[in-house]
Amino acid sequence: MNEWLDRHMGRLFLAPAVTLILIFSIFPLVASLIMAFTRIRFSAGGFKTRFVGWRNFDKQFFGSEQFHLLGTFTHISILGWVVGLSATAALLWWMWRYIRGPFWWFGFLGRLITLGMALALVWMFAATLLSGNQFGTVGTTLFYVVVGCALQFLIGTALAYACSQSIRGKTAFRVIFFVPMMITPIGIGYIFRMMADTTKGPFANVWQWVGLKDFAWATDPWAARIFITIAESWQWIPFVFIMMLAAFENVSRDLIEAAELDGASPWQRFAEITWPSVMPIAATVMLIRAIEAFKIVDLPNIMTSGGPGIATESVSLQAYYAWRSLDLGSASAIAYILLFITVVICVSFFNLVVLARVRKQQ
Amino acid sequence: MTPKRSIFEAPRIGQMSMATKIVLYSLLLIWSAFVLFPIYWLIITSFKDAADVNQGPFFIPFVDYQPTLHAWKELFVNDYEDTLRAYFNSIVISLSATALSVLIGSMAAYALSRVSYAPNLITILYFIALLALTVLAVTIYQVDWRLASAVAIAMFFFLARAVGNLYQFQLHNGDILFWIISQRILAPIVVVVPIYIMFQSVGLLDTHIAIIITYAVVNMPIVVWLMYDFFNSIPRDLEESAQLDGATMIGTFREIVLPLSRTGLAATTLLVMILSWNEYLLALFLSTSKAQTMPILVAAMNAGERGILWWTMSVAIIVMIIPVVVLAIFLQKYISKGLLVGAVKG
Amino acid sequence: MTAPIAETTGTAKSISIRNFNKYYGGFHALKDLSIEVKAGEFLVLLGPSGCGKSTALRMIAGLESISSGALLIGDRDVTEVLPKYRDIAMVFQSYALYPHKTVAENIGFPLKVAKTPAAEMEAAVRAAADQVELGEHLDRFPGQLSGGQRQRVALARAIIRRPSVFLMDEPLSNLDAKLRGNMRAELKHMQGELGITTIYVTHDQIEAMTLAHRVAIMKDGVLQQLGTPKEVYSDPANLFVAGFMGSPPMNFVTGALANEVFTSGSIQFPLLSTPNTASATLGFRPEDCQITAPGTGFLDADVFTVEMTGDQVLVTLRMDGTPLVVKMPKEFEIEAGAKAGITLDPKHLYVFDTDTGARVRRG
Repeated sequence: MNEWLDRHMGRLFLAPAVTLILIFSIFPLVASLIMAFTRIRFSAGGFKTRFVGWRNFDKQFFGSEQFHLLGTFTHISILGWVVGLSATAALLWWMWRYIRGPFWWFGFLGRLITLGMALALVWMFAATLLSGNQFGTVGTTLFYVVVGCALQFLIGTALAYACSQSIRGKTAFRVIFFVPMMITPIGIGYIFRMMADTTKGPFANVWQWVGLKDFAWATDPWAARIFITIAESWQWIPFVFIMMLAAFENVSRDLIEAAELDGASPWQRFAEITWPSVMPIAATVMLIRAIEAFKIVDLPNIMTSGGPGIATESVSLQAYYAWRSLDLGSASAIAYILLFITVVICVSFFNLVVLARVRKQQ
Repeated sequence: MTPKRSIFEAPRIGQMSMATKIVLYSLLLIWSAFVLFPIYWLIITSFKDAADVNQGPFFIPFVDYQPTLHAWKELFVNDYEDTLRAYFNSIVISLSATALSVLIGSMAAYALSRVSYAPNLITILYFIALLALTVLAVTIYQVDWRLASAVAIAMFFFLARAVGNLYQFQLHNGDILFWIISQRILAPIVVVVPIYIMFQSVGLLDTHIAIIITYAVVNMPIVVWLMYDFFNSIPRDLEESAQLDGATMIGTFREIVLPLSRTGLAATTLLVMILSWNEYLLALFLSTSKAQTMPILVAAMNAGERGILWWTMSVAIIVMIIPVVVLAIFLQKYISKGLLVGAVKG
Repeated sequence: MTAPIAETTGTAKSISIRNFNKYYGGFHALKDLSIEVKAGEFLVLLGPSGCGKSTALRMIAGLESISSGALLIGDRDVTEVLPKYRDIAMVFQSYALYPHKTVAENIGFPLKVAKTPAAEMEAAVRAAADQVELGEHLDRFPGQLSGGQRQRVALARAIIRRPSVFLMDEPLSNLDAKLRGNMRAELKHMQGELGITTIYVTHDQIEAMTLAHRVAIMKDGVLQQLGTPKEVYSDPANLFVAGFMGSPPMNFVTGALANEVFTSGSIQFPLLSTPNTASATLGFRPEDCQITAPGTGFLDADVFTVEMTGDQVLVTLRMDGTPLVVKMPKEFEIEAGAKAGITLDPKHLYVFDTDTGARVRRG
């Protein structure tokens, strides 16, 4: 008995995890894909499903929900054309450069998908944001991901670098900076609503002084988006902070001292030695943050319920609202669109940034 | 001889220049204020009543306004049933989900770091195809789900080997690891609807067990990822010598590996615990009343007709934060060490 | 055996270390270290780990502040000067190669931060790389090089700037034995050729003996002896130096000295012209003595093990529990367990005061 156990221990150790993931991750993933192509109607004692082909996706991309997911397309402004065309040219040039190098069909295919996604997103922004039109949940989600992650990364890294120097009260700063990560996102949503209250919040006098007393930030699309981004950053900067702090403290003292002896100034030491050493970790931290940021749902739901209009609605939230109105087919289709965008962007980033570096140095 | 110096250059060996110090400390202090002020505001708001909040911002208790326990009473005396039930639910669910996730996840991570696996890609694709067909048959063609899964399982076991022999395309431990970790990329929204239907059809909706299992699975990739790196950093000689001394794999795991990975386990546990404790979206789907957790309770306070009752809301948020802070204080020495072993090495 | 100090090229400078002290909190890590290093000299700081030799080196580099004392490079007082203005280059034990930079970028880094024009820099990098025979690997990353090659990159990075001082912190200790021998020879050759004043830290006495013009032996933050390799070997100032130099180390027999007679357990023999010492230690080197028939030497012992090393035979004997090692020619044969006598020329006998460690009779 014991011997049998020992011989099969390898499988027995792995089996529970794999089984659970198969049941609660792979099965739902497959089921969700199928649901995205069906129309589900709840009736007494169960539900009826009907296969509808691409109709759920069609509605999101080209039909009645286009404004919601992608934004309103009417015309493309001159600015839109300029930015769109120059970005397209840059992307095509990047592709051309790859094709002229050593060819590998897998790499080519991957880059082709990356290129397609990048072009689609560029033109979506050119036709909405840059042409004075409302953009949809995909645009909003990307705003949270790009602006939020950039903000978190800049501040988190700066704090970590400051904390990695020999300063007094290091432990105290570390503990303080870690605090926001322990607060539930729901709580953060409410705390920031209090902070932002222009009449009863702590900064009411400040708002009054700058003449914004009657300004309700939740009714202005950009103010609302920015507030959500600030709240999200407040929550996640600690994560970037602790990871980057460990990375900075892990940079070999010898390297820094060698550079010091070689005559490098403090700025050169950071730019030439410290930063390149932590770059792989920084890229990984960014990737983890981006993956999580794509899922954003609780803050917009709590702070603005996606409003004003759909201005702060993320793709996840849109899918949740679709589910709440019992449109399971659309909910699944939207979720799959989100999954596709996330996977393409994250895998591209991983391959073109993280792995490219690792490959070069080994 | 002496070149021009920047103001950030150290005046003496082992010292920082005044300019560097000013920049550093002001950055750190400003951020501390930015972190602490909202929390301070949260705490003082919990001791205010309606009038104190509505009549404009008051900053300092006893000076600006008279603190009261009004809000605390409301939540813990008047509505104690709701509050305590949600609190109890949250504790049971996050503790069990964390235990389950860490146990199963670290077992898998250990196996992946020590045993070589070579699953066949074709067999896996065959499995997924069968799964898709089964779901298709059940949802669209209304085949009874028991019948469909029985047929699928039978087909898998009878034909798996034959299909697998068609092409040999072996995967390795790294692929399995990547597969498990990549599950984290799935937004909960993608999988939650089928999970919802699944639990509904077996009558487990709005129960602890449903939320526990879901949380455990959602957090498992993190456990596997962190623990895999941690186990890899433990020298193998120790286990090999234990095995030569006659210990079984489970014995080695329990006697040698687990005690050595306390740091990693503590940090992972803390992280998973925080994530489960704060989780919102999945709980929103899977619980309606009985199994309602704290985040749902807090979020629901928004819906009142009198607008948001900031004071009770603050109390609710504070009581949600307290256990995490206590836990973090207990495990704090492990956090930076344990969490980062894998991450830092890349 | 030691090459004379090379003709200085003009860039080489003398270093004077004057009363160096280092405190870490209450811990006194370095006590009153004073050494005058001549221009172009190769000085080795030798000692067991924790003796303060690395601290001293880092103080010279400017990586640690000097608690009290002064440091002069050439005629210039650099005690308070930041490392980068000291005109020194250092090779670290870990080599401290920048993993994200190619070999060429690593070697060229000191010139890059000094804003040297690109063409000039490229030429200098090539010259330095050729000097350490790395010319073909300029585009590789440190991760792709072997241990010996990394060592060469570190050396090239140190020489490219033509500094007035080289500092080396155990640079060979990460190499395997064979490579270490080769690199040692190259290092010595290169230092002789460039004529740059070098301070080298090691715990390996062979390295110290072979490389140094002069060796400074340290223990517990205190300088024990400063002298040429020959001096510290054949004329050790105290018990510690005598025991630290040489492999296998010097044999010691403890006893007492009274009226020019040394007594240890059952043995007694005369030692002319030595002062009385209540507790004395007698020392003699394995290569200075021979094995004879029992009763014919100055002491008798039991043969414990016999080790054949190829070019010689090492015989370990025991006398009242005290191990004694004798180096014999490779033809020598004896059985373990036999009784044997040890004989030597009295001029090779060293006598130390056991309590103070001081030498009481010169050899």
